[in-house]
Amino acid sequence: MIVGERKPFDEIKEMIKSFKKVLNVGCGGCTSICMAGGQREVGLLNEELQNAFKQEGASSRVDGFTIERQCNADFFSELDEIVKEYDGLLSMACGAGVQFLADRYPQKPVFPALNTVFVGVDRDIGWFEENCRTCRECVLGETGGICPVTRCAKSLFNGPCGGTSREGKCEVSKDTPCAWFEIHKRLKEQNRLENILRLKPAREWRNQTQGTLVQEAYKKRYAK
Amino acid sequence: MSHQELKPVDTKQIQGMLSRKKGKMKRFLSYCAHCSLCAESCFLYMEHHKDPQYMPSYKAINSLGKLYRKNGKVDRKLLTEMKGIVWRNCVLCGRCYCPIGIHIPSMIAFARSILRSQDVYPQLDEVSSESWL
Repeated sequence: MIVGERKPFDEIKEMIKSFKKVLNVGCGGCTSICMAGGQREVGLLNEELQNAFKQEGASSRVDGFTIERQCNADFFSELDEIVKEYDGLLSMACGAGVQFLADRYPQKPVFPALNTVFVGVDRDIGWFEENCRTCRECVLGETGGICPVTRCAKSLFNGPCGGTSREGKCEVSKDTPCAWFEIHKRLKEQNRLENILRLKPAREWRNQTQGTLVQEAYKKRYAK
Repeated sequence: MSHQELKPVDTKQIQGMLSRKKGKMKRFLSYCAHCSLCAESCFLYMEHHKDPQYMPSYKAINSLGKLYRKNGKVDRKLLTEMKGIVWRNCVLCGRCYCPIGIHIPSMIAFARSILRSQDVYPQLDEVSSESWL
């Protein structure tokens, strides 16, 4: 799941204060699940914004509408008519949803109300943990299901570095477990230590460019 | 009592929404031949030992279909029951297959939208240790 957190209130207010009518668009997908950008959060943010604008004597109005997903065009149809009434759009989706919204309504200024923070898992209600950097070169099969790119402070592929404490903590913080210590421990338990004895070549940091993926079965359909 | 249970249902608003998509949605509802071919394309149906409540057609008929049948005259209790059908029993993955071409996800999404208009939607922090699925 993509996890997001709300931007500081003043930052959001600054972005939209020059617009008379703003529609805050919530997302019923990941940001709803991580309790940052669903219908409830849209309502809470709008209330705060309205109160702030009222106190400042500004005449800006913020309404809300939540669609099921901002990363899928199928769910935008209901919004098409509604957005016509507004000068600007605020999105409570992840960065992908914000861009999809901006693509759909190129005449409308679109602003992000969230910072997209990571791809992660639910540890408990309201508690999320980063587990994947979407590096496009998954090595979890060799590292005992522990990601060195995400969980090692240096994203080392041939770890550990010299900064691991005797207790298996990272030199960055004594509260942070060393990913490579954990990888070693798990592979030892599984009797698969030979996995990490081979030297891995340097990564190609292809993640620096925009990615597109067409699954094998659909390649013909989209061939140009 | 959560805030979702306090607000009276705005029947007029629901009727307005139903009316806007009446042609397409009623067509979808009437085309369903109850062939149940959509069922096996739903992973939730398969995972729940083929419980009929998870059949995509069941979910559409008992949410949006019911809203049309009752012409939007529904109470909060019924909307809350529908909440379970369209959120807990469906994740809107879009994998349901209909040989006639009925687009079930758009019906579920529309039912969700109507429920949202009445402030009925999942309160994720109220889901206790019991899994939402």
